[in-house]
Amino acid sequence: MARRKFATLKRFLNYIGVEGDRTIFTWVSASEGDRFAQVIKGVTAKVKALGPANKMLKNIA
Amino acid sequence: MENIESKLREEAKRLLLEKRADIIVGYEKGTLPLTATPCFVSTEAEADKLVYNELCTQNLAKYVHDLITAHKNSQKRVKPEDRKKKVIGVVARGCTTRSLIIHLQERQYERDEVYIIGVPCEGYVDKKNLAKALDSAEIIDGNLDGLQLKIKTAAGDKTIAVSDVIAPNCAVCRFNNPIISDIMVGTPAPVKNPATEYDKISEFEKKDIAERWDYFTKEMEKCIRCNACRQACPSCYCPTCFAEQSQPQWVGIGEDKSDTQVFQCMRLFHMVGRCVDCGSCISVCPMGVDLRNYLKKIDKDCWELFGTRAGSSMEEMPPLGKFSEQDKEDFIYNP
Repeated sequence: MARRKFATLKRFLNYIGVEGDRTIFTWVSASEGDRFAQVIKGVTAKVKALGPANKMLKNIA
Repeated sequence: MENIESKLREEAKRLLLEKRADIIVGYEKGTLPLTATPCFVSTEAEADKLVYNELCTQNLAKYVHDLITAHKNSQKRVKPEDRKKKVIGVVARGCTTRSLIIHLQERQYERDEVYIIGVPCEGYVDKKNLAKALDSAEIIDGNLDGLQLKIKTAAGDKTIAVSDVIAPNCAVCRFNNPIISDIMVGTPAPVKNPATEYDKISEFEKKDIAERWDYFTKEMEKCIRCNACRQACPSCYCPTCFAEQSQPQWVGIGEDKSDTQVFQCMRLFHMVGRCVDCGSCISVCPMGVDLRNYLKKIDKDCWELFGTRAGSSMEEMPPLGKFSEQDKEDFIYNP
């Protein structure tokens, strides 16, 4: 069910204009330390490439 | 439609007389010309005010839920053995029955608490389309003659065919006849043109991401957060809406545009597998926000990914309540 929600959420956010690479979903088991590191590296690389997120951001004066 | 109306009144009287329903939710003539408004009928004499025509817009499932919830709350302090069930009769067309199915699947009430009087639907007149057709001239008087609207406006008389000012969601309706009903009044209406229902969405999907974001911000800037869309939506029935929750406060109450965007985004996303495209939210929106562009996208995704349409069958589980081994996995990130 969570996966179904994420599948639709990713598509929906991309549709309204939030880059698909900002919504990332995967499974990591507690025993998969290496995989966790890989995922985080990948995610940071993707987000770095996109630059800072400035959509739906609240300006608190 | 005249025929349906008289049958409907007869049926409503019979239900009230036989005590098979305590209240009947239907439509009555509105206070403004060419409008119909939801009404509650609890005595036989009142049943004569029921109308059913192409001017009935709102999805009545919302009222069924409200009435049943209010009744249940009033029964809370009554001893369990003395609690009474209240049966709500509802005049329901295709989209209303879909909403009722969603309520039933989400265990909001039991099937025997509603009595569904099914009516066929030819689509309803969209206020905004009508205003456009009349160049926003003020409607002084008007009546519905078959499928023709005879309108007296401040700028002269005009006759408009209902099919020319039909709501966009009705024009591509797939379920214009009730899916479930206890009794059917009138003969089923011919199906509309559902083959083109996702055309606009596919077109919008092809646009550049920056363009899509611009459109979203532009549309959401119109929103004044009156919450009319939420009030009209039959699928929005949470006792405490996230928009009003204060611990945690999901959305700020100020007029910051990010708050509006987040509110709309969250409300829209709560409609996955639950939006029946009845158009109630759009018809009540005072600012004309293009909500349908997003709601239909959710519907399209649901159909493409999970092969289900909201409230289309009583037996089928809601899409977010189950999973399948055939679900696509391309969205899962694998480094």
